[in-house]
Amino acid sequence: MLDWLRFILTAVLLVGGITVMCISMYGVYRFKFVLNRMHVAAMGDTMGLFITLLGLSFSAPDFTTVIKFFLIVCFLWIASPVASHLIARLEVTLNDHLEDEMEVLK
Amino acid sequence: MNSSKPSLKQKFTAWLENASMLDDAMEKDLAKGSDLKAQENEKAVYEAWEQRQKNRHDTAVQEEHALYERIHHWTMTGGAKTATILYRLFCIFVCLAVTAFMLMMVLDMPAYGNANSPVNNEVSARYIEKGMEETGAVNIVAGMILDYRAFDTLGESTVLFIAACAVLTLLRIDLNRHGLPTEELIAAEADDRHHEPKDDVILQRSAALLVPIILLFGIYIIFNGHLSPGGGFSGGAIIGAGMILYLNAFGFKATGKIMNFRVFTVITFCSLMFYGLAKTYSFFTGANHLHSIISPGIPGNIFSAGLILPLNIAVGMVVACTMYVFYALFRKGGM
Repeated sequence: MLDWLRFILTAVLLVGGITVMCISMYGVYRFKFVLNRMHVAAMGDTMGLFITLLGLSFSAPDFTTVIKFFLIVCFLWIASPVASHLIARLEVTLNDHLEDEMEVLK
Repeated sequence: MNSSKPSLKQKFTAWLENASMLDDAMEKDLAKGSDLKAQENEKAVYEAWEQRQKNRHDTAVQEEHALYERIHHWTMTGGAKTATILYRLFCIFVCLAVTAFMLMMVLDMPAYGNANSPVNNEVSARYIEKGMEETGAVNIVAGMILDYRAFDTLGESTVLFIAACAVLTLLRIDLNRHGLPTEELIAAEADDRHHEPKDDVILQRSAALLVPIILLFGIYIIFNGHLSPGGGFSGGAIIGAGMILYLNAFGFKATGKIMNFRVFTVITFCSLMFYGLAKTYSFFTGANHLHSIISPGIPGNIFSAGLILPLNIAVGMVVACTMYVFYALFRKGGM
């Protein structure tokens, strides 16, 4: 019974994580501007990965593996938003037609 | 003596007289004044030439304009369509051809799990059965690449070193011969991160948090290479990435204290030299059935597996330095 519960939780969360990843991949091609695409790309790195690893940790053999998953999530949740922030800053600095793409608050 | 060869003083006076003669001639020319008529003539010739040049230039511009208009018109209407259709057809054809070719190759391969396939020969069986006993490494891959086939790995590390040297020769911007920075170097310094955000606080804080963890993790992977998956190449790559992150956050001034071309050369040379010497000793004693001071130890301990741990460290240092030097050279042409 417990095994089945773990399996179902893992499966549902894995499918959810893969769905988020797919949506973010689709969004990278769907959106036109760098700032929108950056948001979608970062979503796959943070939310998709978190849900996937949460699902995997339900069927992990021992607690050490769960801690390792947690550390991976911590690392990527620090690294990925910072990378997005740098991309955004570079885009704002370099793009001359930023006003055409979006509303810029001065 | 004097008659055959002029003395130094004679030469000097002769030279002085010559010079004064030239001066006289020049003064005479200046005093006479230039011919006005000749000057006017020259002016007319020059104007005619200028007019001809201008005409030629105008015709060329007109022709080019017409050509551009024609091509532009064609690409905007018929050309674009044709090119797109051709391109797509070509893409589909290439994809299908490559897929078919790959599938044909797969058909020729031995069946999966076939005991008689050439993959399952006595070499891999021996690695699996006796690898731990002979090398002392729990990680069979580490035992293979750093013990049985160690000279292959030395070649790989040397390839990295040679690649770094080649990039250094091509991209490094040197000081000039007086030891001063050249214009190119100044331009490179100014251009470096010209558009990029400098001293970004968010990046600096997160780098201060992450870099020690990344470096520690890389060292762990190198030191644990004979016990778990990993080793010199992957651990060195992680350390190099950590150093690059630090460089991005804090700039060349911060990393230049520990890493410059001299450090790079010394570390890489010492690592490769140690690797070659240690492995030569090990192979020599092994091939001649001599007593070797290197023992496999107890498999599973951190100080075991003989030479694998020091060789992993050597390879890791080479890889980390090479990654960092590549990044620095491609970014600025120096460190």
